[in-house]
Amino acid sequence: MFDKKSYTLYKFHKHLNQSFQNKRELLECALPALRDLFKLDRVYFFDWRKDRSLLSLKMMCKKEYCMDMQEDISVANEPAFLRALVHNGVAETTDLSYPALYLLLQWERPSVELRNGEIHTFMQEKVGVLRLERFRKNRLFSDTEIDMIKALGQEISHNLRNTEIDQAQNQRLNVSTALNDLSTIFASSLRLNDGLELILQGVQRYFRFDRVRLFLTDAEGKKIRTVLGVGLSGTVTHQESNQVSAEEAQIFKEVFNSSATYRAVRSVLYIPLKVQRNKVGVLTFDNIFSRRQIGYLDFISLQQFASQMALTIDNARLFERVQELSNYDELTKLPVRRYFNEKFAEEIYRSKRFDLPLSLIIMDIDWFKQINDTYGHQIGDWALQKVSQTLRSCLRQTDVPCRFGGDEMMIMLPRTNGEEAKVIARRLKEKIGAIVVPDRDGNPPRRLSISQGISTYPQDGETENSLLEKADKALYVVKARGRGDFALYRDVAEEAETLQPRENDKKEETEK
Amino acid sequence: MIIWVMPDSGARSKEDYAELLALFKQAHPEIDASVRVFTRNVLWRRMFTIKNPAHGEEVPDLIQIPHYWTSLLVKEGVAENLSLLDPGLSLASCLSPLKEHCYQPGTKDIYSYPWWFDLSALHYRADHLKLVSSHPEEDLQTWNGLLNICEALREHFSTVPNYFPIQNSDWRGSLSMRSALPCIWSSGTDFLTPDHTKTLVATKAFKDGLRDYVVLALNNYMPILRERGSLGTMMSGKASMMISRKQGISTFSARRGMRVHTVPVPATGKESCAYLSGMNLAINRLSQHKQDALTFIKFCTRPDMQVRYAGMIEAFPAFEDAFEQFIFSSSQRLSTYTQILASARTLPNLVIVGSIMEILKKILAQSAAAIVEDRFTMASLDKALDMAAKEIEYLLSINEG
Repeated sequence: MFDKKSYTLYKFHKHLNQSFQNKRELLECALPALRDLFKLDRVYFFDWRKDRSLLSLKMMCKKEYCMDMQEDISVANEPAFLRALVHNGVAETTDLSYPALYLLLQWERPSVELRNGEIHTFMQEKVGVLRLERFRKNRLFSDTEIDMIKALGQEISHNLRNTEIDQAQNQRLNVSTALNDLSTIFASSLRLNDGLELILQGVQRYFRFDRVRLFLTDAEGKKIRTVLGVGLSGTVTHQESNQVSAEEAQIFKEVFNSSATYRAVRSVLYIPLKVQRNKVGVLTFDNIFSRRQIGYLDFISLQQFASQMALTIDNARLFERVQELSNYDELTKLPVRRYFNEKFAEEIYRSKRFDLPLSLIIMDIDWFKQINDTYGHQIGDWALQKVSQTLRSCLRQTDVPCRFGGDEMMIMLPRTNGEEAKVIARRLKEKIGAIVVPDRDGNPPRRLSISQGISTYPQDGETENSLLEKADKALYVVKARGRGDFALYRDVAEEAETLQPRENDKKEETEK
Repeated sequence: MIIWVMPDSGARSKEDYAELLALFKQAHPEIDASVRVFTRNVLWRRMFTIKNPAHGEEVPDLIQIPHYWTSLLVKEGVAENLSLLDPGLSLASCLSPLKEHCYQPGTKDIYSYPWWFDLSALHYRADHLKLVSSHPEEDLQTWNGLLNICEALREHFSTVPNYFPIQNSDWRGSLSMRSALPCIWSSGTDFLTPDHTKTLVATKAFKDGLRDYVVLALNNYMPILRERGSLGTMMSGKASMMISRKQGISTFSARRGMRVHTVPVPATGKESCAYLSGMNLAINRLSQHKQDALTFIKFCTRPDMQVRYAGMIEAFPAFEDAFEQFIFSSSQRLSTYTQILASARTLPNLVIVGSIMEILKKILAQSAAAIVEDRFTMASLDKALDMAAKEIEYLLSINEG
């Protein structure tokens, strides 16, 4: 048979034998039970800050309910009280006019008997303090009651400790899930910037920081290129390097030049993103508005994540660079044929879908072979560069020029009908016509000129091939007429269909 | 509908809220409402996580907020635009000092609605002060006068155990930034310059203002970090004065034979200032019960409910009709608070004001601990304020006021 104490303990144990999400839930269950068992008027739970001898009130339980409360009590100047509390686990109040008992909630591992027979307690941790009050009837706490209260206190301590461990494990699980989710974002994002924006929003959402920012460096890793940030509102902001304050730019430099793995300046944490010696950027996060402390686990997790982030950014940049190199012609810096074909197919699809016009210009530099032969290949290359520069400067952002091969170039003009394309062709003719070939060996000065053939979707063709073919035919008409001009296919369709490429043009084509 | 509130009546808060909810349910039986009481600290922290609730975390529909949190919650996207919910919603009858704290700065969109407000004042026991001063009201006009009276009272009541001239009205039993505000303002300074572009926290006037308040604890005129239950009150005769934002007259009047007078907080500088602190209600943008929440707001701002609730928690109604009804119902209240209200100031509705309060609150908490442990120096307080000023400047730089 159980004695009364064991039975009460068993019942209390059963009462607390459930899973609690957090300390608050546990206390809301334990404190009312204590109150009822000992006919208490109020029970208080304090956090115990031993380093400052400070009891920090968190919850009060009275009548039928519990409530969050806040009050700080310093016991630094009460050594007798402190001694009693720490050594005996209980202490009676020294200056309250009614019975009140403080109970130290202390968690310890079961003691172990060492070989020499000594009993040793390896781990001990103070998890809080309870204050039990009886002010209505002023009934003192008997020794039996104090014994029982201590026993129940141990039960609460163990449950508090277990709940804390559960909470910490849940937090770890949440963090690793969050980081896993964030890592997959990189894999699912088509463009680096899109991925980074999602990552920053994710970091803020999961870790609940006030701000998360990412300073990205230029290709050389020397200067800030751009800053992506997510603030209180949760929206992503972009800042250019010139918008970064001088103070922050200085911190950025210091963080990069230091070998430290992080730096805290005021309330902001800076983690450098480096891959070997390659400086990719700096990840910063803070709770600058809320003033909440950043948890150690959060910090460590983000530090690990930052190295993964650095590697991903570095890889993505490398990939972008490789892509850039393979998509652009080294000499003219214009896109190459393969890239152009992809864009051309996309744009035809878009034009069909949204019923938009599209024009294509095929052009080549007149007498390019002669220029090469007369002035040398260096001047030939120079001419190609000047023409491509002119193309880039005269065209709109949406237009796509490309070097198709030799001196032949193409320009795709989205949302442009034939008449508009002719305006552009005229402008190119004039601008390129103003370029004078430099004379080194006493040759007569010579201006560059171009011939251009134009076709338009949908009037001249509805596929890439038909548009290319029609533009090419229009170009032959221009060449047949003596070059240095442009023609829209449908304006010269009849002539183009009867005309065969001239022999010398064919010859020139094969020699290119 | 879930309402998050603060413990405005201390240990009696739950009872007061239960009474308020019972009245609401009588008027609107179709709306199921429950209240969660959180301390201001907890509520402040939750304001930053409310938008991204973790799995299973409760989302409130309505939140009680100090007036100066409005613009922060707008910036965060937590507060719902009440003008969108009800375009007819108006602040026309709201007391003018409270109005500007309800809008998104620079617009006329209402994001929080006033509920009640309180005013700091000095309450004193006439019988106690008569023992040490022939003209208490005159002596209590200045801070030095207050300190002299404290000294005289302590000497007079030296045989009374656990006696302190001033009762600490702070719920945490610590140094309170909100109680310090009148001292700072009275010194002729503020957190920020009038155009809100620079901080004045590191200026001599600010430091002096805060020092004046800290002296109350440093000289042991006011208890800090002590067990509340162990401390006496003005009513039990273990204290003679209290600087409080609760108007308290009805409590004191209920005590037969004890006369309590209320005067403005003594001036540390040229003139006295009172801290006017408004409590507003904001609807969570994530709420699924926005119309119910709006109904609750309208219920709380009904003139009869304004008067009733203000009486329950010892505060003031936020709307003109109710305020007049409330203040004219007691000639003592009228004569006392007319003067105090005229000198009242409030914190501006800026995004960073809540953060500034947190920074300064931490400094005061550290100072309180240092005082109790006998290691406090004014130089350490000044140094902490210098550091705080840098932090505030940074906050200003990232938020443009």
